[in-house]
Amino acid sequence: MGFGVTKSTHSFIHAGLPDSGTPLTNKLVLEGNAMFDQLTSELDVPFTRIGKLFVVMKKNEVEILKKKKEDADAAGVPGVRIVNSKELRAMEPNLTKEAVAALFTPTTGLVSPWELVIALSENAMENKVEFMLNAKVTGISVPRDHTFVINTTRGSVTSKFLINAAGLFADDIAKMVGEDDFSMVPVKQERSILDERVTDLVNHLVRSPITGDFVSPTKKELKAKKSNVIIGYTSEKIEDKNDVSTSREGFQRVFNFAKRMFPAFSTKDIITSFAGLVPLNTRTNDYIIEASKKVPGFINAILGGSGVGASPAMAKLIAEILADCGLKLVPKQDFNPYRKGIPDFRELPDDQKEALITENPQYAHVVCRCETVTEGEIVEAIRRGARTLDGIKFRTKAGMGRCQGGFCTPRVVQILARELGVPVTKITKREDNSQLLLFKNKGGERQNEIARS
Amino acid sequence: MKSREVDLVVIGAGPAGLAAAIKAKERGVEDIIVIERAEQLGGLLHQCIHTGFGLQYYKEDLTGPEYAHRFIKKLKNLKIKYLLKTMVIDISSDKKIIAINPEEGLLRLHSKALILAMGCRERSRGSIAIPGTRPAGIFPAGTAQRFINVEGFIPGKEIVILGSGDIGMIMARRLTLEGATVKAMVEILPYVGGLIRNEVQCVHDFNIPLFLEHTVTEIHGLDRVEAVTIAKVDKDRNPIPKTEKKIKCDTLLLSVGLIPENELSLKAGVELDSVTNGPIVHGTMETSVPGIFACGNVVQVHDLVDDVTIEGELAGASAADYILGKVTPLEKKIHIKAGEGIRYVVPQIISAQRDVNLHMRVLNPDRNVTVRIGKDLLERRFPIVKPSEMVKITLPLARLRMLKEETKELMVTVGVDEDDTRT
Repeated sequence: MGFGVTKSTHSFIHAGLPDSGTPLTNKLVLEGNAMFDQLTSELDVPFTRIGKLFVVMKKNEVEILKKKKEDADAAGVPGVRIVNSKELRAMEPNLTKEAVAALFTPTTGLVSPWELVIALSENAMENKVEFMLNAKVTGISVPRDHTFVINTTRGSVTSKFLINAAGLFADDIAKMVGEDDFSMVPVKQERSILDERVTDLVNHLVRSPITGDFVSPTKKELKAKKSNVIIGYTSEKIEDKNDVSTSREGFQRVFNFAKRMFPAFSTKDIITSFAGLVPLNTRTNDYIIEASKKVPGFINAILGGSGVGASPAMAKLIAEILADCGLKLVPKQDFNPYRKGIPDFRELPDDQKEALITENPQYAHVVCRCETVTEGEIVEAIRRGARTLDGIKFRTKAGMGRCQGGFCTPRVVQILARELGVPVTKITKREDNSQLLLFKNKGGERQNEIARS
Repeated sequence: MKSREVDLVVIGAGPAGLAAAIKAKERGVEDIIVIERAEQLGGLLHQCIHTGFGLQYYKEDLTGPEYAHRFIKKLKNLKIKYLLKTMVIDISSDKKIIAINPEEGLLRLHSKALILAMGCRERSRGSIAIPGTRPAGIFPAGTAQRFINVEGFIPGKEIVILGSGDIGMIMARRLTLEGATVKAMVEILPYVGGLIRNEVQCVHDFNIPLFLEHTVTEIHGLDRVEAVTIAKVDKDRNPIPKTEKKIKCDTLLLSVGLIPENELSLKAGVELDSVTNGPIVHGTMETSVPGIFACGNVVQVHDLVDDVTIEGELAGASAADYILGKVTPLEKKIHIKAGEGIRYVVPQIISAQRDVNLHMRVLNPDRNVTVRIGKDLLERRFPIVKPSEMVKITLPLARLRMLKEETKELMVTVGVDEDDTRT
């Protein structure tokens, strides 16, 4: 879950500065933003209102900021103001001296998108939502209104209502019920992550209002040590929905902008680069959140850019749409909104560290050195459903640090094999054929292979 | 939380830490604790099952585990305390340490002196920004070495190795011996990155196709590596269009350099050298923080374990002198600077009190050169120099005494011999 578009999206919960021609996006992003404090606190997911600075480098570009401020005020985005160069210097002391002014949106937040999705899924399971994983939808039949037979690679399910939240692949699902008035197009965005040692250089999300390029910490809690700097933005419409490859040109553009903004950055600070896809639909520039007019009971929940921030407000809207379509919604008496995250050993105060170790000594065995991730956290992640190297990485950060898994990969692979009771050669990077180790070198498969040949 | 006063804490039980602890004990320091994050003593030597260790120090050709064993045995005979599976999670400039392990939980140690011997890590794919997809099957060469030699698994059968560092060359041979095919070793520079002996014994002797002045420009494959594209590079190391060549493979190993692991050094307030990425050290291996010493690959990435041992012994002896109050105040500080043709020199600061071993690397390979220390203090001729082979010069105390009182800096340079008769 969350390993499609969400895994490689950025961490920003936008304030809701309106764009023209996208009324639904504007509304949901603005409303969603206000819901994040409660949502993330209930789900035990780190969230910080870091604030965004739209920075301009030329005097005449201040007009762009003024226009954006007018629009923001009209839309009701709270606290937006223009910051002069002196104040900007105080807010971002390491920012280039070329910067002349900025538009500040204090409500812009940071959340880790995959942590949010993992938390939501755990909470959904707690509240008795069933998940069918590794179940690719192969076809949908609609024998009559409000009856969907959904066939998957793991069996079929029947339902009265069907919500299409298939993201980049929402067009494939819609086509299966006969809705074919849109396609989904991936827009590729390339990003790099910088070492945590430069995190203190950046206080806010710093972005160009003209090109969209950005520099931001990945987290900024009071004592967030596990924070890196993310830099990014190249925007390229592509065709292949699986293409998350990076390019030399993309990397150079992203880094050049970051270096121009923060001259102290060096290529030595880069620890990894990746690409994410933003799903856009061809029917409108906006989200598609609506009941199908053609197929009763079929509801599209198709977000696009800024989708993570819009998602809580979208969920409310979907509930309204379901009610309008005739689904009787009764609030559950025993609904539990709370979920506890995996203990984050590195961030805990000493007394809590000791308490955790007393309870389970595995929390005193550091497996990932760069991010100080313990065996206890890794085992807990497996207990919660992680089955792959990336599953562990995205739940605990093991392997996300400066050595990128050089030291911990062999150890995490061993723990996975031990806890899951499978051979080491069966451990994969992701839920696919991304096997990590192909052969045993003493005995086992390879010798059998030689014997056969 | 348990709290203990200790004379000396050594962080890291690889060859540097072991040598330092042993030497300090031999010099009379009683209360020593060696902290090791792995499950056993010896650091990465236990995965280096090839030979070539100890040729200088023992005048014997040993494997990594054999070399480590000699020091581990000595450490145990000397009854030096050590903690395994123990990670230092915090450290301060007043030499207070917080560490954890599953047996004792959180530990607080306060030491009189501290030796940093954490070693180094490998550069990753991300740090050199290789474009392309992100499949399984991309490993730093040392990680692959652990999988093969310690855990008993082969990452793949058709291998491309990017970079020609020593671990990469050794893995080329190892994988060939294990039945894999090394289809290419790709090096961006016009010369091999590791030792000449490894180039001969691991690459040429095993007919590994070597692509100099080439780099990997793209990784292919969604789930698992399926191929890489390599291309020739120009003199600025940029890929030359239309020289691309796609090589089918299931594994890409990276041997693209090592970085000293100085996250703890920074926490302790130790000043680092931006070229070596290690602490700036005095001739005694003391860092910028009094009582904190450093040795081995955390200071500079060495070519040979023998040199690491010798550096460890120097740090151990110096820490012992510090703890036992035998330190003579520095007469004067002389800064050693890397001049023409020299990338770095360690130690960065010396004093005219003892012989000093200078370790340095040249910027470019060359033949028949003279390395000069100061304008006329000392000269040494070398028939061949390479960036991958550390240049070692001993600066005798007698020479240092010849320095003028006001000398504050010595420039080290390398140049082609004036009487070079090459055409």
